[in-house]
Amino acid sequence: MNQLIQSLVDAISAGATLGLAALAIGLVFGVIRLANFAQGEIITASAYSIIFTWQLGWYVAIPIAILIGVILSLLMEVGVFSRMRMATPATLLVASFGLSFLLQRVYELFFGNNVRTAPVAPELAQSLEIGGIRVQLLSVATIIIAAVILVALVQFLNRSIWGLQLQAAAADFRIARLVGIPASRVIGLSFALSGILAAAVAFVSTVKTGAVGPPFGVPIVILALIGAVIGGIDKIYGALAGGFLVGFATSMLASWLPSDMSNFRDAYVFLLVIIVLIFRPSGLLVRGGTVRT
Amino acid sequence: MKERSLLWRLGPLWSLVVLLVIVYAVTVVTSYLGDSVQVQFQYALVNLVIVVALYMFIGTSGVLSFGHVAFVALGAWTVGLLTIEPELKRNLLSDMFPVLFDIQAPWFLAIFIGGLVGGLLALIVAPVLMRLNGLQAGIATFALLLVVGQVLTYWSSIGPRSGQSMVGIPDVLDLQTTMFFALGAIVVAWLFQRSRPARLLRAAREDGIAAAASGINVVTQRVIALALSGLIAGIAGGLFALTNRVVQASLLGIELTFITLAMLVLGGMLSLSGAVIGALVFSLIDLVLVRLQNGVELGSYVVSIPQGTRPIILGAILVLMLIFRPSGLTGGREIVWPFRRTPPLPGVPPTNE
Repeated sequence: MNQLIQSLVDAISAGATLGLAALAIGLVFGVIRLANFAQGEIITASAYSIIFTWQLGWYVAIPIAILIGVILSLLMEVGVFSRMRMATPATLLVASFGLSFLLQRVYELFFGNNVRTAPVAPELAQSLEIGGIRVQLLSVATIIIAAVILVALVQFLNRSIWGLQLQAAAADFRIARLVGIPASRVIGLSFALSGILAAAVAFVSTVKTGAVGPPFGVPIVILALIGAVIGGIDKIYGALAGGFLVGFATSMLASWLPSDMSNFRDAYVFLLVIIVLIFRPSGLLVRGGTVRT
Repeated sequence: MKERSLLWRLGPLWSLVVLLVIVYAVTVVTSYLGDSVQVQFQYALVNLVIVVALYMFIGTSGVLSFGHVAFVALGAWTVGLLTIEPELKRNLLSDMFPVLFDIQAPWFLAIFIGGLVGGLLALIVAPVLMRLNGLQAGIATFALLLVVGQVLTYWSSIGPRSGQSMVGIPDVLDLQTTMFFALGAIVVAWLFQRSRPARLLRAAREDGIAAAASGINVVTQRVIALALSGLIAGIAGGLFALTNRVVQASLLGIELTFITLAMLVLGGMLSLSGAVIGALVFSLIDLVLVRLQNGVELGSYVVSIPQGTRPIILGAILVLMLIFRPSGLTGGREIVWPFRRTPPLPGVPPTNE
């Protein structure tokens, strides 16, 4: 029982992390049809900045991480993706793949192949006892952070003009432009939000590992991208739910698969993904229809 | 007029001959440039075969595949298992199924068996994967790549224990033989490109609905294309195993997928000329960059670029190419007879949305 609850909390926190990462991908995809593989490198950049600046205090490190995430995200849009507006989603995916490879090599050049380490928020690395059940404090904190960000984001999307414009653009970019929603603002906004989400993912991931290397963001973005697609990358909340599902499933498989099989847990998740894609190609949470491309 | 129509018919053959001559000539030139260049160019030829395999599927069907390196990996694995001495296998790969210890094949045959294994995997997964389009196909094939990578990494019954590699693959493959395999792959791709399934697929690529309305079963044609390109990819895997002589799942994963896709994009993914020229140009730039990283003496100066800049430049080339010339160096056209007056058969430029 104890173990079950413990693994459930861990799985929810893993799901929350990947949900945020997938949401970042879905936000951008909804607007410009870009499934941004290089989102992982935004996460890596924020993670590096957290590692390097943590000793200055969290109130310095976290704003800088957010700033770096937003700036890098906007730079990608201005430098690369804004010049490829006519490309198909598949071409954009290849381009973001290339960008991801490129940035990893740049990180290698600047920070070396070895991981950089720092104890980030060590006070979160202990376990917590609630009513005789021990859970990781970090897992609980991750869930709370994700919840706060989500509530704030939903408020922003539903209550502010910019948020509504973003939703309109995600629903149908052409019609949104026709009714006078400024395209560049909405696109910039989606990239900026995905940068903020990347910083959040970077924070919880660096607390967990305490070490950052050039490929830091890759496994996160692989699972997040896959989650976003099976949840329905076309819909913001579909991406979120898909990311959550993949994170949850991966974590549960890690806890409960017999040890000689747990090496293959990602393989099971990916098989599951292929099966989902075959039966629900436009996403688990999308009723009918196909993804607009 | 008669002359022109003859040229017209020979046009495609001309493009094949030019490609074969280019590959042959570049190989001959590099074989005079010293051992290290030769070795590096042998890798380039292996990559060329992978890119040709990618072209056979992506170029004709227009469906993105991140999964071809999975077929490459199976081919490499097969050749590794078939060519390592039984004694060595018993010692180094002790967890394997006992059957695998004694199965041996001459390396030349092993390469083709590797191709068959790669093609078989493609044939098995194709009927399900080929129903998907666009981004979904990309993600599903990517998932396939990751599944195969995980299985090969961790399943010690069919290979080394996790984190270890297969060693002891014989040193038998030279540059010339590799070149003949590359030329063979180009011929197969050219023949395939002119075949009925490839024509139907190109029709479906340009307009899926119209193709389906004309009675083309797109899924069936795609299955044929994927199986055939899986076969070529498997052969490329065998060539890789014999070139590198160490096989490890991590060598046959995301990075190789990226590099070969970059080559295809660089040349232009809609033509065989694009695949071949993309692979060659990319490899030659890489050759130059490796030289530069080690320092090149020009008179009394030593020109060099910092270590680690090489992959950055290669990545930047891909991204810039996608921005400024998304249809690649060849623009999706084949090389045509330069002197004829009639406009060349257009390789249709990629449709933008």
